[in-house]
Amino acid sequence: MNIKKQFKEGLITNNPVLVQLIGMCATMAITTTLFNGVGMGLSVLIILTCCNVVVSAIRKIIPNEIRLAIFVVIIAGFVTIVDLLLKAYIPALSDALGVFIPLIVVNCIIIGRAEAFCQKNSVGASFFDGVFQGLGYTCVLIIMCVVRELLGSGRFGGGLIDIANGFRFTLDGTGAGIQIFPEDFGASILTLPFGGFITLGLLIALMQYALKRSAKKKAAAEKAAQADKEETVC
Amino acid sequence: MNKILKLTLILFLVCAITAGILGVVNEVTYQRIDEQNRIKTERAYQAVLASDGYEEVSFDQAAFPTVDLINRCTNGAGYVVTTTFSGAQGSITMAVGVDNDYKCTGISIIKHSETSGLGANAASSSEKGVNWRAQFVGADENVAITKMGGTIDALAGATITSRSVAAATGTAIRAVESLG
Amino acid sequence: MLTNILSISLGAILINNFIFSQFLGCCPFLGCSSKVDTAAGMGLAVVFVMGLASAICWVIDQFILVPLGLEFLQTLAFILVIASLVQFVEMFLKKSVPSLYSALGIYLPLITTNCAVLGVVLLNVQNNYNFIESVVYGITGGLGFMLAIVLFASVRERVAFSEYPECFEGFPICLVSAGLLALAFMGFSGMQIFG
Repeated sequence: MNIKKQFKEGLITNNPVLVQLIGMCATMAITTTLFNGVGMGLSVLIILTCCNVVVSAIRKIIPNEIRLAIFVVIIAGFVTIVDLLLKAYIPALSDALGVFIPLIVVNCIIIGRAEAFCQKNSVGASFFDGVFQGLGYTCVLIIMCVVRELLGSGRFGGGLIDIANGFRFTLDGTGAGIQIFPEDFGASILTLPFGGFITLGLLIALMQYALKRSAKKKAAAEKAAQADKEETVC
Repeated sequence: MNKILKLTLILFLVCAITAGILGVVNEVTYQRIDEQNRIKTERAYQAVLASDGYEEVSFDQAAFPTVDLINRCTNGAGYVVTTTFSGAQGSITMAVGVDNDYKCTGISIIKHSETSGLGANAASSSEKGVNWRAQFVGADENVAITKMGGTIDALAGATITSRSVAAATGTAIRAVESLG
Repeated sequence: MLTNILSISLGAILINNFIFSQFLGCCPFLGCSSKVDTAAGMGLAVVFVMGLASAICWVIDQFILVPLGLEFLQTLAFILVIASLVQFVEMFLKKSVPSLYSALGIYLPLITTNCAVLGVVLLNVQNNYNFIESVVYGITGGLGFMLAIVLFASVRERVAFSEYPECFEGFPICLVSAGLLALAFMGFSGMQIFG
C-alpha cells in the first residue's frame, strides 16, 4: 500500500462521503458557510488521524471481543479534547457547529476506518489513511459549502474571509465573506435542509457518472488493445 | 468467568486512562472557556447599552421565570437584562438593553440553536441580521411581530423565532419596569 | 407544564423533525428504508431506545456528572450508556419478549451509531430540560424519526419503479426524494403553537 494510492483513494476512488456513503449527517447539516465546512472538516481530519494512529498502535494488545467498545471510548476521548479546545480557542466555531462536534463520536467514518483499515495496518499507513480520508471528507464539505453558500446567498467564504478591513482570514466568525451577487437574488432554499439533501444527491450522482465513465473508457481502451493484439497475431 | 473479569478490567482501564487525559485537558482549558463566555456576554452587553460597568440588581424571579439577570449600568444609562427562553429549535439566550424610559435600546443574541439560514439570521452578523435586530431599538413593552398586531417584521421562514424574541424583549422590559 | 410538553412534542415530531430539519440519524434513515416493514421496525426500535436513553442519561447527568463537576465527560459517558443500554435491551428482549425481539432484534445493534440517539441526549442537556421534558423529547423525537422513515420508505418503494438517469442509481435518487420530503416538512415551520 503506497502513499500515492492512499491519497487517490481518500480523495476520489474511495472518498468517504461520495463513494463509501458514510458520515452524511454532518455533511448535510453544517455546510451552510465556508467557515463551518472548513472547521468541521479539519476537526474530523485531526480526530480521525489521532484515532487511527492510536487504534493501530494498540491493535495487537486489545482483545477482539471488546474492540468496538474500546474504539468508541478512544474516539469519544479525542472528540471531547477537540470540543474543549475549540470552546477555549475558537468559540465562534464551537457555537456554529454546536451539537455536531460531540456527534463526531457516532460519525461512521471514524469507527469505520478503525474497523476496516487500522486493525490490519501499520501505524504509518494508518496515519496517512487518516490524513487522506480526512482530506477527502474536508474537500466534499468545502464543495458543498461553496455551492450552497454561493447559490443560496450569493456569498463566498462567509465567516472565514473578512474584506471590510482589507482581505484577511478571521477565526472569530465575524467575517462577512465576499458578496458575489446581492443576497436577495440567491435561492435561499439551498441554505435550508432541502438544499442539503439535493446538493449532496447531485454531487454523488456526478461522482457516479464520472466513475462510470472512466471505468467505461478503461474497458474500451482494454478492448482496443486486445483487438490490436489479435490483429497483429493474425 | 475469568475471561469476563479480564475483559471488564481492560475496558475499565481504557476508560480510566481516557477520563484521566480528559481531566487534564479540562483543567488546562476550563479557565479559558469561562473567560471566553465572559467576554462574549460582556460584548453583547456593550452592544445593546454601552456602560463602563454593570452591577447585578435583585428582582422578583417568581414573576419573571425566563429572566436570568438584571444588570444596572453604572453610568446610569439604564439596565441590561439577560433572558433565556425557548425559540423554534432550542433555548435562546439574549441580552436586552432597556433605558430609563423603559424603551429597548437594542438586543443581542448570545446563544441559540435556531435553523441555519432561517431563524439563525436573528443572531447573525450579516446585514439581514443587523437590520432585523435594529427594528427593536425604541420598542416598548408591547413589542410584537406584525402578524400579532405589532410593528416588527418577522424574519422570512422564521416566525416562531421572531415571535419568541419579540415576546422575550417585552418580558425583559416589563421586568425592568417592575423594579420601579 | 402541559402546554410546554405539547409544544415540545409537536416541535419534535413535525416542526423540527430530527431527520428533515436537524439531519440527525441520516445514516439509518437512508440505509434501512428500502421497505416499509423494515422502516417501521427500525423506527419502533429508535423510539424505544431514545426514550430510555433520555431518561437514563438525564439521571446520570444530574446526579453524577453535574454534582461532581465532570460535565466534560458527558459525551464519553453518554455514548457508553447508550452502547450498553442497547446491549441490555437486546438481551432482555431476547429472553423475555421473543416476539418483540424477532421484530426489532436486527435493528438494535445499528442504533448505537445512530446520531439521533446521542443527539437527543446532548440536546436535552443543552436545552436544560427537566426529567419529564427530556423523556418526552426523547420519545417524540423518536416518533418524528419513525414518521420520517416510514414516509420515506413508501416513497422509495414507488421510486424503485420509475425511470431516472443511470448515474442517479442508488443513493442520489434517495437523497433527492428525501430533499423533496424535507421541503414538504418545511410547511410545518410556520405553524403556531398556543401563540
